[in-house]
Amino acid sequence: MNIIVCIKQVPNVTQVKWDADGSLIRTGLPTIINPVDKNAIEAALQLKEKHGGKVTVLSMGPSQVESALREALCMGVDEVIQLTDRKFAGADTWATSYTIGVAIQKIADYDLVITGVEAMDGNTAQVGPQIAEFLGLPLLSYALSIEVAGGKVTIDQKLGDLSRVVEAKLPALVTVEKEINEYRVTPIDKVIDAFEKNIPVWGVDDISPDVVHLGLKGSPTKLRKVYSPKLEKGKVEMLEGTPDDIARQLVDKLNAKFLI
Amino acid sequence: MDFTISPVNKMIIKAAKDFSERKIPAIEAYMKEHSDYPPNLMEIYAENRMLGFNVPREYGGIGTSNFNMILYIEEMGKTASTCFLPFMMNNSVAETICHWGSEEVKKKFVPPLCDGTAWATMAFTEPDTGSDPKMLTTTARPDGDDFIINGTKRFISMANKPGYGVFICKDLSLAGQKNNTTAFIIDKTSPGISCSKHYELTGLEGADTCDITFTDVRVPKGNILGKQGEGFNILLRWIAGERIQQAAGMVGVGQRAFEEAKKYSLQRVVNGMPMGYMQGFYWMLGEMKVKINACRLMVYQAVCKQDAGKSFEVDSAEVKVFTTPMIQEVTRMAVQFLGSYGYSKEYIVEKLFRLAMHQGVVASSLEINKTIVGMTALMSK
Repeated sequence: MNIIVCIKQVPNVTQVKWDADGSLIRTGLPTIINPVDKNAIEAALQLKEKHGGKVTVLSMGPSQVESALREALCMGVDEVIQLTDRKFAGADTWATSYTIGVAIQKIADYDLVITGVEAMDGNTAQVGPQIAEFLGLPLLSYALSIEVAGGKVTIDQKLGDLSRVVEAKLPALVTVEKEINEYRVTPIDKVIDAFEKNIPVWGVDDISPDVVHLGLKGSPTKLRKVYSPKLEKGKVEMLEGTPDDIARQLVDKLNAKFLI
Repeated sequence: MDFTISPVNKMIIKAAKDFSERKIPAIEAYMKEHSDYPPNLMEIYAENRMLGFNVPREYGGIGTSNFNMILYIEEMGKTASTCFLPFMMNNSVAETICHWGSEEVKKKFVPPLCDGTAWATMAFTEPDTGSDPKMLTTTARPDGDDFIINGTKRFISMANKPGYGVFICKDLSLAGQKNNTTAFIIDKTSPGISCSKHYELTGLEGADTCDITFTDVRVPKGNILGKQGEGFNILLRWIAGERIQQAAGMVGVGQRAFEEAKKYSLQRVVNGMPMGYMQGFYWMLGEMKVKINACRLMVYQAVCKQDAGKSFEVDSAEVKVFTTPMIQEVTRMAVQFLGSYGYSKEYIVEKLFRLAMHQGVVASSLEINKTIVGMTALMSK
């Protein structure tokens, strides 16, 4: 059973600091594997341990993404592929999904694609489903478990407080929730092996995409502005009355500001 | 000597930190409740591929350096958990058997120490024997294809856990010879072996240190490690490595003590200012940091010599002599930093302080190491 896992390298937003104007300080922010993507890798490794086969991890990004892929090798995956090209830069979720989709088409030999539900920096949850759409694969999203048997994949799908069982024929794409597993502590022997492997880098010439769909130019999303909401201090209004009165006043005020 | 931390080293540290943060709390909780290690502790270590660091892969090990191992130990030391002791023991005993053992011995005894099915032990100390091999009273008497072992070993870690121990005994077949100690690899579940209850120790909470008594315990001659008469040399080489590993753990203890003191000094406000900005306190922080860094560099230097295959026994003794009082002082200063909170069991610095005290008496005393360093200096040309 051959599995492809798509991961993203993200800034460690748990260590974000803000300057005096309330703007994000990006300089020196460490990068990490998007946490739920580590659960995706773990899910793939567990399926491989049960069914055999190979786990390949794919990631698109600048040259620094190599460290995320090296860490994936340290977790024990068989192969990694780095998608790096200046023409990929500035891609929105659609162009990213297209580029990764074309790379997966090049890999060709796979039964299952697994991604994390969403990245902690953008929180769109769009790339996994868009890759499935591009490749024409059944999409099984929000997985709390994955079982593979008889040419089918079955997941327990998280739907808020409820869950339901979803099944599809392989090949398919599954997006996983963090609750699906506890990803492993990096095994030391795999660390030693990981640093002896070369990481192949695929650019535009390696995957032959339609270049009009790549990067910023190929992105239908136009980002107008990125800004940090201004934090206003000292504007506190104390509500008076019984708890019921206060609750009603609070609801009215939030409604007036279209916050609920 | 270049101590640059490579990308591999960094990943080892990251893995160790991850293990310490995600796995040790549950181990520690068990130890607190039961005053003993979890029965599956070695399985946990094996699952996370932490056993056999410096053992070739053909014997089930990882095949990496002692340097990488001490980086791992330092991170574990920061948790103040005693669970780093059996981790060090399985690793160091497996390496010792690989170094001294015949091919047959290595194939038989090393893989179980790497796959988590066996707990390792190394035993020399006896009720009336400190560091002098001539004082040993545990005897090995030849009998056909076996030896018969009788005697008691004291303060032995993991003696009551299933697995293999290396026991240094007086070899009666070498009576009258200068080197009359032989190392035997003994299955600790053999008939005739009994153990006392655990000792209650000042630090090292949860450690299972006890006495182990041999009454006519039969051990095949094939279980001799190295050659007959090499027992004490085997012990000296093993304990030299153990001292470095122990010091690495204590560097972690010191680092945690420093971090706790720093954190407190920024939180506690005195006269409208975090107390860390008062000269008396930041001088203390500076002193603690320098002491820890000096200890760390000594550990790195000694372990690099070990990895290079050079003689490291005296360097290891120097590490003990320097790092023991340094880390004990750093943890004491952390207690002072936190005042009465530091003397309370609710704060980890109290545990770090007690833990640091073990370094002066466990895995050879501070004083015997001063003797090694001093006499070596005196005798060298």
